[in-house]
Amino acid sequence: MKRTKNLYSYYMIFPALIIYSIFFVVPALAAFYYSFTDWRLDRLELKFIGWDNFQKIFSDKTLILALKNTAIFAIVTVVGKNVIGLLLAVGLNMRLRTKNLLRAIFYSPSILSILVISILFTPMLRTEGTINHLLESVGLHSLSQAWLTNPSIVIWTIAIVSIWQSAGFQMAIYLAGLQSISQEYYEAAKIDGASSWRSFFKITLPLLLPAININLMLTLIGGLKVFSEVYVMTGGGPGNASQVVGTIILRSFGEGNWGLGTAVNTLLFVVVTIIAIPLLIFMRRKEVTE
Amino acid sequence: MGYTRKLAIRNYIVEGFLILASLIVLLPLVILIFGSFKTSAEVLSFSLSLPETWQFSNYVRVFQEGGLSRAFFNSILITGVSSIINIVASSAAAFILARRETKLSGTIYMYFFMGLIAPMSIITTIRIVQALGFYGSITSVILIYAALNTAFSVFLYSGFIKTIPRALDEVAFLEGASVFGVFFRIVTPLILPVNATVAIMVFMSVWNDITIPVYFLTDSSTWTMPLSIYNFYGKYSRDWNLIFANLVLTSLPVFILYLFGQKYIVSGLTAGAVKG
Repeated sequence: MKRTKNLYSYYMIFPALIIYSIFFVVPALAAFYYSFTDWRLDRLELKFIGWDNFQKIFSDKTLILALKNTAIFAIVTVVGKNVIGLLLAVGLNMRLRTKNLLRAIFYSPSILSILVISILFTPMLRTEGTINHLLESVGLHSLSQAWLTNPSIVIWTIAIVSIWQSAGFQMAIYLAGLQSISQEYYEAAKIDGASSWRSFFKITLPLLLPAININLMLTLIGGLKVFSEVYVMTGGGPGNASQVVGTIILRSFGEGNWGLGTAVNTLLFVVVTIIAIPLLIFMRRKEVTE
Repeated sequence: MGYTRKLAIRNYIVEGFLILASLIVLLPLVILIFGSFKTSAEVLSFSLSLPETWQFSNYVRVFQEGGLSRAFFNSILITGVSSIINIVASSAAAFILARRETKLSGTIYMYFFMGLIAPMSIITTIRIVQALGFYGSITSVILIYAALNTAFSVFLYSGFIKTIPRALDEVAFLEGASVFGVFFRIVTPLILPVNATVAIMVFMSVWNDITIPVYFLTDSSTWTMPLSIYNFYGKYSRDWNLIFANLVLTSLPVFILYLFGQKYIVSGLTAGAVKG
């Protein structure tokens, strides 16, 4: 037995390990170091400056706003994509005649590039765009808005577009989860006289935990890494109203503020890891005990 | 009212509601597709109407003026090669990690797994690619995509390989096969469906991405389809019909791939995400 084990040579791991280390891990570790330096495009000699970059981040209004916007975007999209995705999945798991067609329709935006979706929505979200026309035609004049140019709602608009695009992807994962639940549980519950609501909360939700976990992780991590939709729809504007961490990194790169840029990146790294790892461990544990 | 009757009514209500909701998804896509066949004046209403005359010439113009054939070739090259590298390297690594149950292999698995969570550090990656001497090249982008997708692929492969009985390998080893022989002759044929899943998922995410090209493709001759649309979108900001035709052209390859690979996407999501 022991001999067979050693036949599995570690050499086969090397190609993946080398590519992944050079182009992902080494840069991530290097970023930790560089975020404590005054690394700039125009300066060859690096100076170690301790926490200065991080102090700068927390005293700069635009950077604070970018952190706040990233948090809003992440929370809104996590809730929106999962609630809508779960509702769609539960509906489309019922015996409906059009369910296959509807599943395909809801899933379809998530195969498109964020860039395609963002360019498509930009003209429709203008003050005289399609969305406002539609709202006015059904009598909802009061909801009509300057969706992308009103600083106080722009990040919400971008989050809603993101939900529009990817709730169908979350739906697909929830559907896969729902289909792995045995019908016997529901039949037993029906015999016991449990209501649909009760079966949903006592059977469906607990048995769906693996799918819920993976969806929460995917949407949360994706939300914190947001870049493309903001870059294309507003470029961070109007003014700096829709800046997020991702666009700030691009800006510091363009300006040659590499030390500051890597510090923002490192902050994102730390925040994502601090939120994701305990969540992952907590949810895995919950799954096992169910 | 009987129980089944009540259920049937409930289903009708749910179905009606979902059909209405599906319009929210469908309408923008219909506006996009119809718009790509309209004249530049007609498209400006961004409405649901059919084009008065179908302007197929929009597509021809986009291809010629947008220089899309070059971008299309670049996209195919980058997506194709990075997917292949990713599939071969990740499945080989996952095979060993799934079979060796030692502390070291567990640690290496976690090392890969971190890549699913942690965001990449763009500026330092640029510096490393510069130091290696190929910043701005298609090669750099291919290797970065292969690296970025390693975590996801290793995760998916190792979950699946664990379900393949180890006895199969042992018989082959007894007959004198090498570890490469076992991997390519026994494991690879068995994981073909997962290869399809990974290929489709990696292809779609790489094809659709703009973050890496924005930072790493400095020369317009290396631009991918999405990046060249973005440039085109800036230049032709009045001709929404052309922009829409360009968006449709960029989406077509992934759409076709989706049609053919639909069942692998769902089975991959089930195997990797839900059961894994």
